[in-house]
Amino acid sequence: MAEYRFFADGFEERVSDYLSNKPEADVELEFAVPEKDFNTAGKGSSELKNLLKRLGVDSEILRRIAVASYEAEINVAAHSQGGVMKSAVHDELIHVSFIDSGPGIGDIEQAMVPGFSTADDLVRELGFGAGLGLPNIKKNSDAMRIVSQEGGSTTLEFLIFF
Amino acid sequence: MNRTDSKYFHAIQILEDNCTGCTACVRVCPTEAIRVRDRKAFIDPYRCVDCGNCVSVCEFHAIIPASDSFDAIKKFKYSMAIISSSFFGQFSEDISYANAKQAVKKLGFDDVAEEASVTNFMIKMIRQYIRENRDCRPILSSNCPAVVRLIQVKYPSLLPNLFHMEAPMSILTRFMRNKISRDTGLQEEEIGIFLIVPCVAHVTAVHQPEGAYKHLQDGAFSTGMIYGKVREIIKNVQNNPVPIDTYPHGLTWALSGVQAELVDADDIRVLSVNGVENVMDILSRVEDHYLDQYDYIVLRSCTNGCVGGCLNVENPFVAMSRIKKMIKEGNSHDVDITELEDLHQKGEFKVTPLAPRPIMELDKDIKKAIQKMKKINEFLTMLPGLNCSACGSPTCYALAEDIVLGKATLDDCVVLKRRPPSD
Repeated sequence: MAEYRFFADGFEERVSDYLSNKPEADVELEFAVPEKDFNTAGKGSSELKNLLKRLGVDSEILRRIAVASYEAEINVAAHSQGGVMKSAVHDELIHVSFIDSGPGIGDIEQAMVPGFSTADDLVRELGFGAGLGLPNIKKNSDAMRIVSQEGGSTTLEFLIFF
Repeated sequence: MNRTDSKYFHAIQILEDNCTGCTACVRVCPTEAIRVRDRKAFIDPYRCVDCGNCVSVCEFHAIIPASDSFDAIKKFKYSMAIISSSFFGQFSEDISYANAKQAVKKLGFDDVAEEASVTNFMIKMIRQYIRENRDCRPILSSNCPAVVRLIQVKYPSLLPNLFHMEAPMSILTRFMRNKISRDTGLQEEEIGIFLIVPCVAHVTAVHQPEGAYKHLQDGAFSTGMIYGKVREIIKNVQNNPVPIDTYPHGLTWALSGVQAELVDADDIRVLSVNGVENVMDILSRVEDHYLDQYDYIVLRSCTNGCVGGCLNVENPFVAMSRIKKMIKEGNSHDVDITELEDLHQKGEFKVTPLAPRPIMELDKDIKKAIQKMKKINEFLTMLPGLNCSACGSPTCYALAEDIVLGKATLDDCVVLKRRPPSD
């Protein structure tokens, strides 16, 4: 079992406050992300963006959430055997989680290196797999956590404050 | 023209007597601006972007485009028509470009000018703007007023990406008003400048321009109306032709794809998109930073560009083919653009930064917005999910939202009313 954690500067305390309180989400959204289905991949983050526009989330923050969730959704479609995208909206932040059903990330530190990718030919042909997904999610989020079981499930989650 | 009390003017009118409440318009509106209540359609002026979808889809002539009365030209000592580049694709091939232009003049204008005459200048200006604003890439075209308004209402984070310069017909208006005043000695207000336009968005833009620093045109006429008048006198014109300048190579402005090819350069990658659904899809992707590899995106709300405008008479594909033929076969003389470039240097064509006009927000306060969203979700579970529009809102989701915002009630759902309570 491997784990990777990241906090943007100055956010560690706010994030641990949130995690220790574990408040119930005000609004939740859930989408299935089927394996290698690039026609529907991206739909979840697109719907999430519509929801956030209705809530009046600041447009620059909205773009960061959109980029991070789109990258993560494509990652699940491209690299896993499929999974689910769960978004939990709170007063001050959004918590988005992606839980897939395998096969797990062998070396998370390596996966975080810009340009590193294990994408297969089909994925590359479709214009994905440039190895920028995870670094891009990290760049746009206030906190990120990946937990992966080699041969098993991976959970990627990030928090972005409004 | 009819002006409503609202802050936003639109060149679309609903004739209540003709409206059957069929909801066809409700279903095609890209910004969900139309509702049918008490069996009549009405448009929310804050949400409408003047795309013209509802005008095209209405079978009962209940949604009609408004344009100015032709008599308006008589109010001026000197009148000029500026013709949209899509206009000449409307005529069958036995009517030549020059004859059609001469006929427009003969309708009563002192002179006619063409949007197409400034295409080369526009392309040069766009390229310069792209190179000077690399930090805002991709630059989004601003010629289509429906696209500009769509960005204001649904994609406000992309406003800085818009090409912040006047559209060609407005540039030409500034230039011509100045020139005519100099040549004739008339005061600027004695000169009437009118546009012949292919769509309601352009009629709206004439009466309520976004970001314009000063007064531009004095009115707008629809292509369809002018086409009818030209057809009446075309035989006479064909029998008495006079030499008149034409700009076939500039007609590219009417075709979004061809325009994109002209802006394209070694250091400028361009994407062309048309049709309002495609435009929305692309804008959403730009928001996700997914199209950052492009330097410029030509966006037109209508099919194929301005040739697809709802005030045109010809099918957008036939009109496109005709214009392509004119571009191929025509001889364009060079247009002297030094005067235009001088005005550009002086900053004459700049527009004010465009402001957002958000329509999606449920509440200014995010906490209240979240509470409203929770209620919307509760109502959504009660609704049948058929998205039939019979209630007059476009989808079940929209009805749930309308209920929470106090604009409808659960009783508006026709399907729920018919279902036995146990179901």
